[in-house]
Amino acid sequence: MKRRRYLVKVSRLAALASAATLAAACAGGPSRPVEAFNLETPRPFGYQIGDTVPMRILVQTRPGVQLQAASLPKPGPLNRWLNLRRIELVEAGADAYRIDLEYQVFYAPLEVKALTIPGFALRFSQYGQTVEESVPPWQFTLAPLRELIARQDVDGEYLRPDQPPALLSTAGVRTNLALALMAAAVLGLKLARQYGYLPWFARRSPFKTAEKRLRRLAPAELAAGLAALHSAFNATYGAPVFGHRLPDFLRAHPEFGQIQSELVWFFDYSNRFFFAVQPDLASADCERLQKLCGWCRAIERGSR
Amino acid sequence: MLIRRIKHGFWWTALAAALAVALSQAWLWAGIAGQNRLIGQLLAGRDVAVEDFANADPALRLARAVYLRKAGRYDDALATLNLLLQQAPPALRAQARYNLGNLYLTQAQEKLKAGGVDSATPLVGLAKQAYREALAADPGFWDAKYNLEVAMRLLPEMDRINSGNQEDDGSQKSELWTSLPGFPRGLP
Repeated sequence: MKRRRYLVKVSRLAALASAATLAAACAGGPSRPVEAFNLETPRPFGYQIGDTVPMRILVQTRPGVQLQAASLPKPGPLNRWLNLRRIELVEAGADAYRIDLEYQVFYAPLEVKALTIPGFALRFSQYGQTVEESVPPWQFTLAPLRELIARQDVDGEYLRPDQPPALLSTAGVRTNLALALMAAAVLGLKLARQYGYLPWFARRSPFKTAEKRLRRLAPAELAAGLAALHSAFNATYGAPVFGHRLPDFLRAHPEFGQIQSELVWFFDYSNRFFFAVQPDLASADCERLQKLCGWCRAIERGSR
Repeated sequence: MLIRRIKHGFWWTALAAALAVALSQAWLWAGIAGQNRLIGQLLAGRDVAVEDFANADPALRLARAVYLRKAGRYDDALATLNLLLQQAPPALRAQARYNLGNLYLTQAQEKLKAGGVDSATPLVGLAKQAYREALAADPGFWDAKYNLEVAMRLLPEMDRINSGNQEDDGSQKSELWTSLPGFPRGLP
């Protein structure tokens, strides 16, 4: 419910008090200790049972005058139908106080009824003396919610039904799930590409091809295996790689430096195989080639 | 090439973590959906098994209290609501207090119909108290306002108040207590 604030200001300015009264009332003080006092109240009509009534008191005192916090009413029931929900004292600047009050009304009228929120007295202390400033009572009207002769149902008077709980919200969990799945998909795609499982979105993985070729290699087909490995190096480098140009290759692909000795052996072995008159072949060479290719493959996909 | 290996391992770890989070969230979602199904079942008027309440959400307990009152099991509903008032988050507490008020007021109406005014009076008082607490927690709770007015009109002599006349308060308080003769033995 939107509550428009109608401001009713009860202002008491020291200047308004007549000098004669003052002189008679407080012989010692030159003027009143409370310079300005405003009570801001909301609209005085249109309330119903259980409604809250906000109020605000603004006080400006002379320097050296202290508001006694003990003189403020305490939160809790004030009488049978009126509850002070909240009271808050804020020091708003030098010698200025703001008191926010919130009342709650529990009264069930039969017709529109005028009620009064009782006033109270604010006490201020000034050099050991106590001065009172009274907050006036405030009247407002309260309306009933039901007709005078209320409608009946089978059990007696009509009651509003129980409130069922709202269903638990799954929005947060669903958002988290979607985010986690999206992250997993992105990471999975990245790794799949790195491993060469996405041929249409390929990161060049020539050693994977070579590894496949080498895996089902008969000892007699060693030439084909060497050629596959050579073409993998060529494809990685982008130009033919020979034994004497190995340093250039390693400069372009420093990650292969960790198996440099094996690479040297490979190019040397390949030279001897293709160009020597009497190649000294051993069955262990095939396994060594496969191992080399496995290392290259690991380097290629970044796992080594 | 240690850096490369660490980077590679990092991607795998991140993937595993993302999958683990997704799995746990899916698990939570399934749990919430299950509780929502039980709430729907209770509100449709079918009871659920007791073991489903082992670590049930407060909303499920509130739904069960609604079901129990509808089924006429007032004592069980009262026990459920009292337990709920100790555990529930503040948002549910206003609803629980309102439902508690309804529980007391329904019983009072039944007692009144049977002619037991003395035993109905304390129940109305308890209902009022519950509605007031619901409204204190949530001043915009319209159903609580309406039912509080119903309860207050059931005992009109308690509301004979002159608007804020403080000197009357003492006598009104004594009137309040003399109007509750059955209070000690009428408690549920």
